[in-house]
Amino acid sequence: MARSKRTHHQSHLHLAQQITALILERGMKCGEHLPEQALSDACGVSRTPIRSALKLLESKDIIEWQQEKGYFVSTDSADRITSAIAELENAEDSLANRILLDRSERRIGELQSVSALARRYGTSRNSVLFALKVLSQEGIVTQLPGRAWAFQPMVDSPKSASESFEMRLMLEPLAISSAGFSLDQQKVGLVRKKMKDFLQIEETRTSATLFQRIDIEFHSLIAESSGNRFVRSALLTHHRLRQASKKGLTVPAFRMHQAMEEHLEILDSLDRKQNELAADQMTVHLRRSSIRRPEATNRGISPLIRGSRP
Amino acid sequence: MNTSPTIALFPEASFGAALNCVGIAQELRKQGATPVFICHPGFVGIFAEYGFAEFHLTAHPSQNTQTAEAHWEDFLNTHLPHFNLPPLEQLTTYVAPTWEAIVDTAIDVEESLQEILTQIRPDAILLDNVIMFPAITKAGCPWVRVVSCAETELPDAAVPPYLSGLTPLDTAGCNAFRKAYRAATQKAHKRYNSFRRRCGLTTLPPDIFLENSEDLNLLLAPSAVRYDRAEPLPEDRFVFLEGCVRNENPFELPYFPNSRGPVIYTSFGSLGALDTDLIQRLIEAFAHIDARFIVNVGGYLDSYDQVPDNVFLGDWFPQPSVVAQCDLFIHHGGNNSFCEALYHGVPSLVMPYCWDGHDNAQRAVDTGVGRRVNRAAWTSQSLKADIQALLLDHKLQDQLSRISARMKQTPGTRQAADAVMNLLRRRP
Repeated sequence: MARSKRTHHQSHLHLAQQITALILERGMKCGEHLPEQALSDACGVSRTPIRSALKLLESKDIIEWQQEKGYFVSTDSADRITSAIAELENAEDSLANRILLDRSERRIGELQSVSALARRYGTSRNSVLFALKVLSQEGIVTQLPGRAWAFQPMVDSPKSASESFEMRLMLEPLAISSAGFSLDQQKVGLVRKKMKDFLQIEETRTSATLFQRIDIEFHSLIAESSGNRFVRSALLTHHRLRQASKKGLTVPAFRMHQAMEEHLEILDSLDRKQNELAADQMTVHLRRSSIRRPEATNRGISPLIRGSRP
Repeated sequence: MNTSPTIALFPEASFGAALNCVGIAQELRKQGATPVFICHPGFVGIFAEYGFAEFHLTAHPSQNTQTAEAHWEDFLNTHLPHFNLPPLEQLTTYVAPTWEAIVDTAIDVEESLQEILTQIRPDAILLDNVIMFPAITKAGCPWVRVVSCAETELPDAAVPPYLSGLTPLDTAGCNAFRKAYRAATQKAHKRYNSFRRRCGLTTLPPDIFLENSEDLNLLLAPSAVRYDRAEPLPEDRFVFLEGCVRNENPFELPYFPNSRGPVIYTSFGSLGALDTDLIQRLIEAFAHIDARFIVNVGGYLDSYDQVPDNVFLGDWFPQPSVVAQCDLFIHHGGNNSFCEALYHGVPSLVMPYCWDGHDNAQRAVDTGVGRRVNRAAWTSQSLKADIQALLLDHKLQDQLSRISARMKQTPGTRQAADAVMNLLRRRP
């Protein structure tokens, strides 16, 4: 039962994050109306969970309820909205998220003990254990013999980013070309709509966070559609790790739009059952995405690019 | 004039010049031109990510066979200690070998540049570099010099010498630096002049590696920090830009666990990020200051651990969008960084380590828009005092707001694109 409540809360929190992303992307001002139906369409869920998410946002004074009129934006400060969402994420039952966030921002080390985490977060050992088990199920931490817990490497350095693309270049086209690849058409419809909406956003207002969320949703959909169970499992775990790493969100708006168009072309090919073509398009897409900026430049020297280049 | 003229932008192999050119190219594209980029070897993908075609130079086969990674390791071992030296002492240790390397590059890519220009057939070339490449003068189209370094790059009796970090009032210091600069660079200069002669170009006077364009020269020197020149530059050929800030996607402020203070952005450019010891010391000092710090650590994120709760590290930031949201910018005096701070009305705490960073650090002090910190001689107490002084200086805030308003009224990117398009319209 407790687990079910937790799951519901996290899904409402996720929706609340999506709604705030919409507020920020559209540059909505104080007093603008937030119609439930429009949000329901944008997020691809019914109005009931949308209401719960709106209540969460109301509790943080990001929006306000007006009798018989509905919900309205009550702050247009991006700073305040971001802080409020972070506070929600950091609620007691999101301890796993806080640990993950702190690890991804290198505030805590790779090896951790339950007692050290309990001290840092001022909470009980049981709460920490529960959070670590959640992260363990996601494949993000592993319990070592003894009392230590080890985080998986994050995708947060030139070498790890190269390795991530190297792996994805092998597995994602394979996920598509393996026998038994099958897409859930309802999910395709939802992610396609999100991508098309993203392409409507002016480049100067493009949100890197929204891009990453849709990007991972698309690539996870490809992974879970694979007929090869081992490829599916490896890719889904890796995409969760990418989500957790929260780094590498720094491509300019032009490339974000271009990448979204490449996603749509892959889906178009899959709709036409041209899986081999889609697999090749995936290779091209990942090769483009894997081009890295030089790490250091100086007059008269070839730029520094460490690690392998897929 | 061709309705969509092809403009080839050729920035030197540094992020400052590259991103300055991205700003100009974005505006040229808005005005109907087709900007394309010529890239130094290894400088791949920067411009394609902004939607511009890239043409890549290949170095002459005789180039050093050492891998770039090994070359950079040597560079670090050799030059990191030099960055703590005063500008005069950097002349023989850092500036002279850098000029030698720049001359090598100009020689190595000449053949490849000729081929690329034949392929592109541009209507104009924008050269944002510190040295002339003979192929540019032979391309059969006008070329524009872009000075994206500090204004000191163009010498004048009333302007302190390039790379000196001196104030114009220090006449004796300026004269001594000029003399030392000439002595330090004359070997590279002689070699470069020989190369020019071989290519059929006239030789250049001492200290000069790049002539001014007969058509148009663009200087990234906002009026707030411009020098009073003894010999003003002719207005028909020289356009001073009020910054040159590119469009970037919005930056979403990261979450900080337990601090809500002012936002301070720290970036020393990609070269500065190599000095992980200095950045580690700064991070430790930041932990004791009541503010939120966003720190660009380049590709070295994995060198840091136990990051304080009021510090956020990243490998790359859409800098203009970050600066727009911050209260103070700690940087190395790179001209782009300095101009972006002014453009958004943000005070600068400049910690220079080489090249024109020294000049901008001194200019920030002389014009009152920031402070200078010696990278080898600060303590956590002195750093905190400098930060607090800048954050609490309301008079400075007013001054910077006025500067920002003026710069935003005439954005340098638009000035530059207008000037280039007018040049093409004027030509038969």
